[in-house]
Amino acid sequence: MELIDKLEILADAAKYDASCASSGAPKRSSEGKDGIGATNGMGICHSYTPDGRCVSLLKILLTNFCIYDCQYCVNRRTSNVPRARFTVDEVVKLTVDFYLRNYIDGLFLSSGIIQSADYTMEQLVAIARELREVHQFRGYIHLKTIPDADPALIDAAGRYADRLSVNIELPTQDSVQRLAPEKNVHTIKLAMGNIRLKLDEKEAEPKAPKFAPAGQSTQMIVGADASDDQRILTTAETLYGSYKLKRVYYSAFSPIPQSPKSVPLAPPPMLREHRLYQADFLLRSYGFQVNELLPTSGNLALDIDPKLAWALANREHFPMDLNRAEPAMIARIPGIGLRNAKRIVELRRMRQVRYADLARLKCSMKKIAPFIVTADYRPARDTTPSDALRRSMADVQQQQMPLWPELQAA
Amino acid sequence: MSIDGEPGDADETAAPVDAVALAIAGHPIPVESFGDFRTAARDLIVRRIPPESVQWSGTQHAGGDLLSAANTGLVPALPADLLDQPPAPPPRIPRALMEMLQGAACYRAPDRWGFLYKVLWRWQLGQQEILSMADEDGARLQHMVKAVRHEEHDMHAYLRFRERPPEAGDPRFVAWFEPAHDVLPQVAQHFARRMGKISWMIGTPDATVAWDGSTLHATGPLMRSAADVEDSGEALWLTYYRSIFNPARLNAGTMHGHIRSRFWKNLPEAAVVPHMVSQAAAGARKVGQLDTVGKRTGTTIPIAPEKAAPERQQPSSLDDCRRCDLWQNATQAVAGQGVHHAKIMLVGEQPGDQEDLAGKPFVGPAGALLDKAMDEAAMDRRKIYITNAVKHFKWEPRGKRRLHKTPAQKEVMACHYWLETELETVKPEVLVALGSTALKSILQSGSVTMKDHIGKPFRHEGRWVVVTYHPSYALRVPSAEARHEAVAAIVAALKLAQRLADGETPE
Ligand code: SF4
Repeated sequence: MELIDKLEILADAAKYDASCASSGAPKRSSEGKDGIGATNGMGICHSYTPDGRCVSLLKILLTNFCIYDCQYCVNRRTSNVPRARFTVDEVVKLTVDFYLRNYIDGLFLSSGIIQSADYTMEQLVAIARELREVHQFRGYIHLKTIPDADPALIDAAGRYADRLSVNIELPTQDSVQRLAPEKNVHTIKLAMGNIRLKLDEKEAEPKAPKFAPAGQSTQMIVGADASDDQRILTTAETLYGSYKLKRVYYSAFSPIPQSPKSVPLAPPPMLREHRLYQADFLLRSYGFQVNELLPTSGNLALDIDPKLAWALANREHFPMDLNRAEPAMIARIPGIGLRNAKRIVELRRMRQVRYADLARLKCSMKKIAPFIVTADYRPARDTTPSDALRRSMADVQQQQMPLWPELQAA
Repeated sequence: MSIDGEPGDADETAAPVDAVALAIAGHPIPVESFGDFRTAARDLIVRRIPPESVQWSGTQHAGGDLLSAANTGLVPALPADLLDQPPAPPPRIPRALMEMLQGAACYRAPDRWGFLYKVLWRWQLGQQEILSMADEDGARLQHMVKAVRHEEHDMHAYLRFRERPPEAGDPRFVAWFEPAHDVLPQVAQHFARRMGKISWMIGTPDATVAWDGSTLHATGPLMRSAADVEDSGEALWLTYYRSIFNPARLNAGTMHGHIRSRFWKNLPEAAVVPHMVSQAAAGARKVGQLDTVGKRTGTTIPIAPEKAAPERQQPSSLDDCRRCDLWQNATQAVAGQGVHHAKIMLVGEQPGDQEDLAGKPFVGPAGALLDKAMDEAAMDRRKIYITNAVKHFKWEPRGKRRLHKTPAQKEVMACHYWLETELETVKPEVLVALGSTALKSILQSGSVTMKDHIGKPFRHEGRWVVVTYHPSYALRVPSAEARHEAVAAIVAALKLAQRLADGETPE
């Protein structure tokens, strides 16, 4: 099989993994050196495809042969898909060639399980080693870690890769048992815990050999099982706390050819995935907790973003006086982001904040108006009931279609 | 930073421009670079010449301001005695502002130099709000800085090199780009870092820069349009680009939102987009797979399910415990550790953050303190058995950390089953209860309190029980003195336990 055919199959098979970022690596430069590649810590998207997602890394599978039978996965062993396998050299060559043409910032390599977890992991490590040691490649490398592999192999992976990830895939142990029978939440957690211990060790001992400087991440598939957003976010919160993850990625389940009966035939609304990312951002950066965003079980609203939903459910905090409020609370006002919250606090040290300032800061005026007080402004709609506000501020009039009507009825 | 900094990249060979004389004569001041501007602006400011009285002329692609408002001859007259006054001291410019000015100077606008001078002028008048987005000029300044940064970023992202055949010699890679602002010099630095010793050239409509593997060379325009090089690597890229797209998620609007339309004509992948969109819209949208992949014949992997599961160490029965809910948020159950027939068993509360990851009791900071106490009491860790009353870590998220939470009585009771098993196998003669959770578990009672038992060993179910503080209590107490006392109490308890294990009876 020609390289181009393998690429078609093995890129196609890799697109269900949502992680894509290439940020967080230490600064590296090849100026005047042998080898190629630089990182500046930020990462860049080099293109966007018509699904709206960015291309920043060469994201491929080493092979889509797989002896596991995960129901949500197009490469499961019972799936009737064309199979292919790259050689180590082919992956290395593609990465270097694409990098030189400025198509990508690095490599994101994953694989089906072939022969055994250890064998598969060895191959992934071999590619990263070849890139780093033979080609002196200083671009970004993200390796998907096979949780059942020997911890010594995971250590080796961490020496070459900027980021490691172990995918939890589903938010509950029951779902993993049902939909990914060969996987095991216990070993997934142990692998993540092992990576965190190594990261901690490196942090405590700067002279220790380097280990995955861009940290670790994971992915959860949304809409392949009946878990609601509260379950998903609670799992994410647990994972962030336990394993110091840089990111949890949410990947809306994509219907796959000849889908097994155990998974739904239709994808969840894409907006649901989007809302989860918004909520996740509020957890990581704004100090929200899951039980504030979703006090009871259920899903995030689709018609409004989670911060607006929180504000409408907690009207006692509003309207908030921008000239007096706690800085951390200002960032909780719908339509004001972290940066603008900071700018408002800086401005009010110099003078009173006025309504027109907010428009200049490009705050979303439609969103913020009912929630703020400034030196020259009080909202007229202060007492408007939340329901009415919500109708007037909805992003899109969209009803969530129940994915699992029979389960919800039960 | 003072405005008299390094001359920057000003053309040193050109005759110095007397900006003040030009301004007085009502002539535009020629500026080719930020360095020129900085020199001129400094001279004008120390002579207190207000922005309304200065005209600037810049490079051609700056928009050539021959017709702009500043050039209509309506410049206010300057006071006649201007040069008789002593010059003002040059203003002090903070680094952040200087960097913003330098960034904004790359923004192509007909009035860019005049505007930057106005910013400097307002700064030296003490108008600090010039740094705020809420100020009109401040907002424009930030907008310019941002647009330039954005352009740099876009050029980093959407520039595409083509590889020339090796027999053609250097440069090995060529690219064509049409930047909207003057960002080529800084972008060239970026690619020099990226490409190592490999040679390349980037052409733009008004300048060219080439890298020979060690030095950058800047010249005027050399190319007229996109590089006309056949590059077989492009076919691989287009295949990758088509394959990584998920038709089930078609959302062309977002793509167009990210890549501004003026870049499309030079992006190789843009050519395949319409076909991808129409195919996705016409049915492929049902599944995530690329049409051409879906049409190939596939295979299933012939392997029996039972052979597919990896060989794992069987989880211990403790790992499978579901007697309470604590297993759910913990990484693993942490069993006790130590010799089988130890005479002394230490019982703590529950594993902490580090223990949960490592799978061993007492390895975190509390473990270190306990080790020290054991050393002091001359107790050999290898001769005893250490365990916890509860085997899974109970915690609550606090931002990105795990906050230890005391186990509830029902969890202590549920987990007592495992302590019981350990007691049966190890058969210790002395139990040291470290903290009240351990004591409650040993006595199987939620109502006992530590202070009734501390320092007073007692017999329970045929063995001695010694009660003392948990090492993490000693870590938590605020005063050094109380901490010292707590550690001393733990050491005393450990010593007492050893004497009891040796057969002594307490007086
Ligand atoms: S804490 Fe104890 S009782 Fe609860 S699940 Fe863990 S081992 Fe079982």
